[in-house]
Amino acid sequence: AMAGVARRLLCRGLGAAAGPPGTRQLREAEEAAPVFQYAGKAAKRKDRVFVWGFSYSGALGVPSFVKPDAGWKKPRRIQPTPYRLETEEKISSAACGYGFTLLASKTRDITKVWGMGLNKDSQLGFQRSRRDQTKGYEYVLEPSPIPLPLEKPQQTRVLQVSCGRAHSLVLTDSEGVFTMGNNSYGQCGRKVVEDEIYSGSHLIHQLKEFDSRVVQVVCGQDHSLFRTKKGTVYACGWGADGQTGLGHYNITSVPTKLHGDIAGVNIIQVSSYGDCCLAVSDEGDVFGWGNSEYLQLASVTETTQVNVPRHLPFKIGKVKEAACGGTGNLVLTEEGNVFVWGYGILGKGPNLIETAVPEMIPPSLFGWSDFSPDTRVARVRCGLSQFAALTNRGELFVWGKNLRGCLGTGRMEDQYFPWRVTVPGEVVDVACGVDHMVSMVRSFT
Amino acid sequence: VSVLGIGHGNKLLTDLYNCHLTRVYTVGGLFGKATDDFSDTGNLVEKTTFDHITREKLERILAVIQGTNQKALLMYSNIDMKTQEAYELAVKGLIRPMGKSPPIITAVRCLQFALPEFQLEIHCLHETQQYLRKMVHEIGLELKSSAVCTQVRRIRDGVFTVDDALPRTQWNLQSIQEAIWNCQLKVETELEKTLG
Repeated sequence: AMAGVARRLLCRGLGAAAGPPGTRQLREAEEAAPVFQYAGKAAKRKDRVFVWGFSYSGALGVPSFVKPDAGWKKPRRIQPTPYRLETEEKISSAACGYGFTLLASKTRDITKVWGMGLNKDSQLGFQRSRRDQTKGYEYVLEPSPIPLPLEKPQQTRVLQVSCGRAHSLVLTDSEGVFTMGNNSYGQCGRKVVEDEIYSGSHLIHQLKEFDSRVVQVVCGQDHSLFRTKKGTVYACGWGADGQTGLGHYNITSVPTKLHGDIAGVNIIQVSSYGDCCLAVSDEGDVFGWGNSEYLQLASVTETTQVNVPRHLPFKIGKVKEAACGGTGNLVLTEEGNVFVWGYGILGKGPNLIETAVPEMIPPSLFGWSDFSPDTRVARVRCGLSQFAALTNRGELFVWGKNLRGCLGTGRMEDQYFPWRVTVPGEVVDVACGVDHMVSMVRSFT
Repeated sequence: VSVLGIGHGNKLLTDLYNCHLTRVYTVGGLFGKATDDFSDTGNLVEKTTFDHITREKLERILAVIQGTNQKALLMYSNIDMKTQEAYELAVKGLIRPMGKSPPIITAVRCLQFALPEFQLEIHCLHETQQYLRKMVHEIGLELKSSAVCTQVRRIRDGVFTVDDALPRTQWNLQSIQEAIWNCQLKVETELEKTLG
């Protein structure tokens, strides 16, 4: 190894000094030393869940944060960095609502969905209180099973969950969609009952009437969107901002098909979290409807509410995925570029507060460099005023308003451009809420 | 690569030091052993298996090391993160600590991988040899095994690369003069750029 091309600094450790035992003895001692095995060849990578953000609602699922289990421990109002949550099963889908969380597993076991956090509208189903068997818990502090009224509980699998302000949607592979929680605007897809009391309710509604199997469910603040295999979109719930996209501003209590610019278009993804909605077609076009007070749809109209899906004529390339937040939107193109528009902390420094036209976030902020030119963003997600991006290297970047530590950066300041979140593992997916986030992580080895 | 200054060059050396430029090393490692000084000539502490280690796993760990060090880079650079200036610098990748800081790694990649040996290229700031050896040891731990450092070779110091360096056979006045001439421009531009 010593071809004399240039000067080098070779280090060979401490070596030489005071009479060490002869080399042969050392070698023999080394060979005789026992070998420890920490991981076998077939060691599998473990799937874990990490949570961070505001904990007092119980949404993080760690009871000791809210009610310390030892005298010397203090309650932890905010968890500023990722904290590992122990789960019984491998979690395949997670969703953060406004102060609550749902975790779902693809298992065939009877318990497939767990919920934690706020339950004042039974968005986590009925959680029987141990103190009073007739009442339900209003706050659930640790992941608790949600009993779904399944016909075939040992066959049906839960594919995906989604959470809104006070309602939840659970998507199954063969029994349609289950909805629970607040229904004052018909967001659960059933008729609004006047003076209905949602707290401590056992009611979980089942929706099966769609033109084909539902493959994605999305909760906006007080409305619900359903995407079917055929590429159609259905909506129900609050419509005052036109977020149901049905051509009016009233509430809808039965999932109804959307038309407008998406009629006949094969939609492959929908997204919503506040009062604005985005949809992506198989050809890479973006469609939007709902609230446009923050310039989300200003590229096609000056009106602040759009109640019919409109095509957004962006010239940014074929779009692969869209994420719709409260005041800002994010899209990911096939090329791996991230574009942002709307209002708020958009990720290009404090000077960019609003734009109606998508602006690209430089890939160097996501870890791309001459040194690692294959690094690209693979997924984009939005919370109410935060953004998250996952790269193909399993790194998580966040930016936006750091409400109650929900960015997970360890700092309490807002983040004006994408910043890495240190997670001990490869981040596979992340769910963003209002003031907390949940991520699914695979360990390194 | 070892940089020496002659006469006026000594002052330039201090200026260069204040630029806080990165240095690049190739570091060789060996899986399966852990020693007390992290190198392969130290006293053996433990032996472990390593047949479960793959290049993929190693690269994942390297990605994380880069990530955490990236954050340290930004934090020690004393720039207010809330400014547009910070954003501009972050985009260009020009943020780096201009004062004292613990060792920071700006980039890492795996050059060779042949169990039990491997070789890494490490770009770093304010590092010490001990730190580099310790890093090899920690990589071993992360992979649920152990590793020792077998070789550390500096291939770049700021603007000076292996190509600029003179081998022992060329340690004569003529070559030294030439080398100084060739590097002068590079040194001046770098000093201008950073210190203004």
